[in-house]
Amino acid sequence: MVKFVQAWRKYRLGKWALALLILFLFLLPVPQFVAPEAKLVTNSLLFSLTQMFMLIILASDWNLIGGFTGYYDFGHAVFFGLGAYGTGVMMAQMGWAFVPALLIGAVVAAVFAILLGSATLRLRGAYFSIAMLGAFVAVREIIRVLRPITGGGSGLTLPPYLNRPLFYYVLLLFMIFVVWVIWWIRRSEFGYTLIAIREDEVGAEMRGINTTLHKIVVFTLAATFTGLVGGLWAYQNTFIDPDVVFFDSRTLDMVLATLLGGLGTVTGPVLGAVLIYWLRDVLWANFLQYHLIIQGLVLILIVLFLPEGVLGSFDPNSGTRIGGWVGKILREADGETEETANAAESVEAPV
Amino acid sequence: MTAVTQQQPLLEGRGVSKYFGGLAALSDVDFTVYPGEIMGLIGPNGSGKTTLFDCLSRVQDISKGQVFFKGEDITRKKPYQVAHLGLSRTFQIIRVYNKLTVIENLLLSQQWRNKGILKQLRPSGQQMEGRAKELTDFLLMSHVIKEKAGNLSGGQKRLLEIGMALMPDPDLILLDEATSGINPTLIETIKDRIRELNSKYNKTFLLIEHNIHFIGDLCDRVFVLDYGQKLAEGTPDEIMNNQAVIEAYFGADGDEGDDEYDE
Ligand SMILES: Nc1ncnc2c1ncn2[C@@H]1O[C@H](COP(=O)(O)OP(=O)(O)O)[C@@H](O)[C@H]1O
Ligand SMILES: [Mg+2]
Repeated sequence: MVKFVQAWRKYRLGKWALALLILFLFLLPVPQFVAPEAKLVTNSLLFSLTQMFMLIILASDWNLIGGFTGYYDFGHAVFFGLGAYGTGVMMAQMGWAFVPALLIGAVVAAVFAILLGSATLRLRGAYFSIAMLGAFVAVREIIRVLRPITGGGSGLTLPPYLNRPLFYYVLLLFMIFVVWVIWWIRRSEFGYTLIAIREDEVGAEMRGINTTLHKIVVFTLAATFTGLVGGLWAYQNTFIDPDVVFFDSRTLDMVLATLLGGLGTVTGPVLGAVLIYWLRDVLWANFLQYHLIIQGLVLILIVLFLPEGVLGSFDPNSGTRIGGWVGKILREADGETEETANAAESVEAPV
Repeated sequence: MTAVTQQQPLLEGRGVSKYFGGLAALSDVDFTVYPGEIMGLIGPNGSGKTTLFDCLSRVQDISKGQVFFKGEDITRKKPYQVAHLGLSRTFQIIRVYNKLTVIENLLLSQQWRNKGILKQLRPSGQQMEGRAKELTDFLLMSHVIKEKAGNLSGGQKRLLEIGMALMPDPDLILLDEATSGINPTLIETIKDRIRELNSKYNKTFLLIEHNIHFIGDLCDRVFVLDYGQKLAEGTPDEIMNNQAVIEAYFGADGDEGDDEYDE
């Protein structure tokens, strides 16, 4: 194991593994172009992966405000809804093309985030969470009532565009972009500032940090990404109505994925989203009536037994048994003595 | 120590009052701190010292009265704006970012100097690491620079807080019981550091202390709070021989003097 860690570091295998994974994901649809009859890669597989990429982006967005900044947004899917409806209304009612319509969707989500954030992010913790939950329900009902614009309860049909590989590539690229942005933020002074706000907001404010401004900026960024996903989702789904767009457990999925993977880490929400997505796929296929119950149970189990998430549990500083074991191997690989060992640094340490 | 001249005060409070419901934690307190001074603030427990710091750093609203810093009215400013003007503080109840390392804590205490969020998008620590390292040397903490702040001892955390307060190069530093829970050798170090910062870099200090010797050794002037009111003001000698002060400490409330070294 020690040898393995040393080799892993020496040859930067992490980077190679990541590069290979990305290459694989890019090449995956190719068999469909070259040999469609062979059915090696089906449209439904691409569709599934596309949904998974979306969940990864959504969870990563939620993690920006919930994991880094410590503000649990229980209504974050409202931005998904605004993006979907912004895009949908422009296309179905105004006859706009997709790309400009999508931009409108993103702008609607961003503007709403700035307005809502300016009001709610001044509140601390729990008040923000509840205000966001309220915003989610309120926006859904407003959309239901604004029938002439939004189609109300009967929804809107968008011009169908059925090109699974294209959606697959767009979402793959977008996902890589979002995770890269968040990775960048995590290393930047801005990212550390968000963590400082989470750790001690009052202290941060007294140490010269304009906390409200930072919260609004990160909230708006997360909302914009989420709005873009909403718009893309609306187009690939070709139909939107308040119930499918403002689906009850959409925020829950983001929370669940983030907690499962590891709150406040870059790769945690990615891993968590992958797990949740496949878990849900299995659940939907086999236990349709019970899937929400099982999802709820999973959440409770994570909070009880994996409070730092799957990834967090592997962190040497987490105090878990696995973490201690990982720490020991890393120290041996470093050739360090016990006393100097505590500094095992990693961007992925849950902070 | 700098002689107090008739210069413009660095910090001035006029009739500062703070009410918590019916409780007057501060009533009509006037005070001035001149540039280059080391000023002491003493008083029995619950006399309003920390509340005064909270009002100055604007984390508490000031109920009545006004505060000026460098001639500017900061009575209604936000906490971060006061910090930007050059006023730093430490906390009686320690406030550090437990899950971040010592150096990250230090760097975050001056991050606002990178004006604008776009400038914060560079990887952390590239610009100011030198200064943070200097400060950890200065405070004898260079061996724990990569330690998580949460793993430090109480004394080390207090030192870290002082470092965090110094990091943005402020003009006025408020220290709230910086020596409590710290061992005597380290207290001497802190004393030396304050003296050096004051004489060499012309930093002004306002410090809350229970340790009378510390006050006597360091301070040019002292002012005393009791039940939220200013009881006396003067040189340390004058204060220690002031009848009202002696009564406030040793009088009606029994043996408050024993708190000298409490945590
Ligand atoms: N946030 C608060 N809410 C209500 N009362 C407070 C608060 N902070 C301080 N007090 C009260 O104000 C008085 C002064 O407290 P404090 O400033 O902490 O005293 P000191 O620092 O001199 O020991 C005390 O009676 C205390 O109970
Ligand atoms: Mg106090």
